[in-house]
Amino acid sequence: MSTKSNEVLLSLEDICKYFKVSGGTLKAVDHVSFEIHKGETMGLVGESGCGKSTLGRVAMGIYPPTSGKLSYKGKAVNLKHGSDRFNYSKVAQIIFQDPYASLDPRMTVSSIIEEGMVIHNMYDEKRRKERVYELLEMVGLNREHANRFPHEFSGGQRQRIGIARALAIEPEFIVCDEPISALDVSIQSQVINLLSDLQDRLGLTYLFIAHDLNIVKYISDRIAVMYLGNVVELASSDELYKNTLHPYSKALLSAVPIPDPNEEAQKKRIIISGDVPSPINTPKGCNFAGRCPQVCDQCKESKPKLQEITPGHFVACHLVQPQKK
Amino acid sequence: MAKDTKKVVLDVNDLHVSFDTYAGEVKAVRGVTFTLHEGEVLAIVGESGCGKSVTAQTVMKLNPMPPARIPQGEVHLGEHDIVKASEKEMQTLRGKEVSMIFQDPMTCLNPTKPVGKQIVEAIRHHRKLSTAEAKAEAIKYLKMVNIPNAEERAKQYPHEFSGGMRQRAMIAMALSCNPKVLIADEPTTALDVTIQAQIMDLLAEIKEETDTAIILITHDLGVVAGMADRVAVMYAGKIVETGSVEDIFYRNAHPYTQALLKSLPSVDADKTERLVSIAGTPPDLLNPPHGCGFAARCKRCMKICQEEQPPEFTVGEGHVASCWLLHPDCPSPEERGEKDVD
Repeated sequence: MSTKSNEVLLSLEDICKYFKVSGGTLKAVDHVSFEIHKGETMGLVGESGCGKSTLGRVAMGIYPPTSGKLSYKGKAVNLKHGSDRFNYSKVAQIIFQDPYASLDPRMTVSSIIEEGMVIHNMYDEKRRKERVYELLEMVGLNREHANRFPHEFSGGQRQRIGIARALAIEPEFIVCDEPISALDVSIQSQVINLLSDLQDRLGLTYLFIAHDLNIVKYISDRIAVMYLGNVVELASSDELYKNTLHPYSKALLSAVPIPDPNEEAQKKRIIISGDVPSPINTPKGCNFAGRCPQVCDQCKESKPKLQEITPGHFVACHLVQPQKK
Repeated sequence: MAKDTKKVVLDVNDLHVSFDTYAGEVKAVRGVTFTLHEGEVLAIVGESGCGKSVTAQTVMKLNPMPPARIPQGEVHLGEHDIVKASEKEMQTLRGKEVSMIFQDPMTCLNPTKPVGKQIVEAIRHHRKLSTAEAKAEAIKYLKMVNIPNAEERAKQYPHEFSGGMRQRAMIAMALSCNPKVLIADEPTTALDVTIQAQIMDLLAEIKEETDTAIILITHDLGVVAGMADRVAVMYAGKIVETGSVEDIFYRNAHPYTQALLKSLPSVDADKTERLVSIAGTPPDLLNPPHGCGFAARCKRCMKICQEEQPPEFTVGEGHVASCWLLHPDCPSPEERGEKDVD
């Protein structure tokens, strides 16, 4: 489905993003490091409030990280620096979750799609108009739609406009922030198919954020599971589903309902009690310790580090240790 | 079937619901028929705008009338006729005979009142209990839905509860007067998967313990597979297929049901395989099509599908579907010149 390579496109090193709120510091993303390879789809899953969207926005350059290093093709990107940020926005784009809120209702489709090209001073006016038509056709709309306003479109069509806007400036890396969760089931598959076709055609790299684990497994090459600001497990999608190691990932995967009554009846569901704790003033030990069914004393004392257990499979848990050779 | 011997608690017959808007009459529900037996879970699945929520809201008469109208059809809840019932009568039924859990627990609780007080309010409306007795009842129900530390929690306001806990409180409130029918309108859509698993577990427990019939409205077929006894698939204001959960998942007959199930990636899906998508969008119910509502998106559409609405055909015991393909005189796929129907 995607043209994978081992060339590192984007690397996040020890990224933290804190927000000052009344009552303390909200650690939305806390010491997260991983790399995204060129041409792959990296899935990012977790429950609401785990920091996946914040991480996506850091990766895309909307939020400058509190600390840590973001580098693109080996070069550091300083998001606090205006021109760096501007240049980075030329290569990294985002597709938002809500196609109703992310399009300006007072702009025509053509001006929405064109805006990025105007900002980045691409092409002359005539060529830009042609490019808008090309993009509309590329995402399965037609050129007559260019002069309409967003309210004239259905949810699925709006999401296509959002995709066309993201593609307009020919980016290499796209953050898809829950692009399908606001859409109906039959429309979801249309958008997923479109995204994978575009990846094949244009060699795009995706960071795909979602909470629907079946979709993430289908579209992603590798998946990172986040819990309360930390990446707790990272592996190729087959490996993660076949050989789940972290207790949280296990519970998360077992909680996903399967659209098959027989399988559903046989499945043993691990129900973890309680809710996700507040990310303000997180505990000293492992963030999952309060809900973990296998919690031990060490978990409450120190935070486990993300380590490579088998090649390409990273887990942050005291109970899972790499086998010594 | 064993189900038939159980009492019918809700009987909906050829229900039509329309909304009068400036643009014209929106026919949201166009002839829906189903029955619900004691202790059964009926799932109504469909995409947004297919009329599944309107159907459920009509059972409770929650739609403001006008703009809503019931041009024809009957709804019988036990011995009560809902269509003819006055607002005053409805007030005695809501909560006692039928109650509802809404999608968004955030906006369904009163933010200015402690949670326990809101439950007491519901109990006192229907049952002749003193405040202290009602309070004890409220705490009993909060404990039943596994809210830890229920005595203290009852004094807290909704904003002090997390999403999952609010949904539990809603369920406690809905159950507090022992309704015969519980309508759960997308009860887990706003929740995370691990919390969703907790709530589904709780609903299954309630079903076991109380014999309450549940109407589960959802678009998540995974939830349906795990919970439901029977399933009704809705499309464009009509039920296109009804059957047991096995009928719908393994022996489905309607092209829409088939396409809907195929559009989901299974857990062991091959990545090189494309997802089957249903082209197009649902019809506009301002001007519903003459023929089958799904005709414009159906890959196996015939001429008659665009002209006449298909009647219900019996596929198996308790399994009906509305599609012309099931007509005994319908030509076989080869005769119709279909190549590869997928």
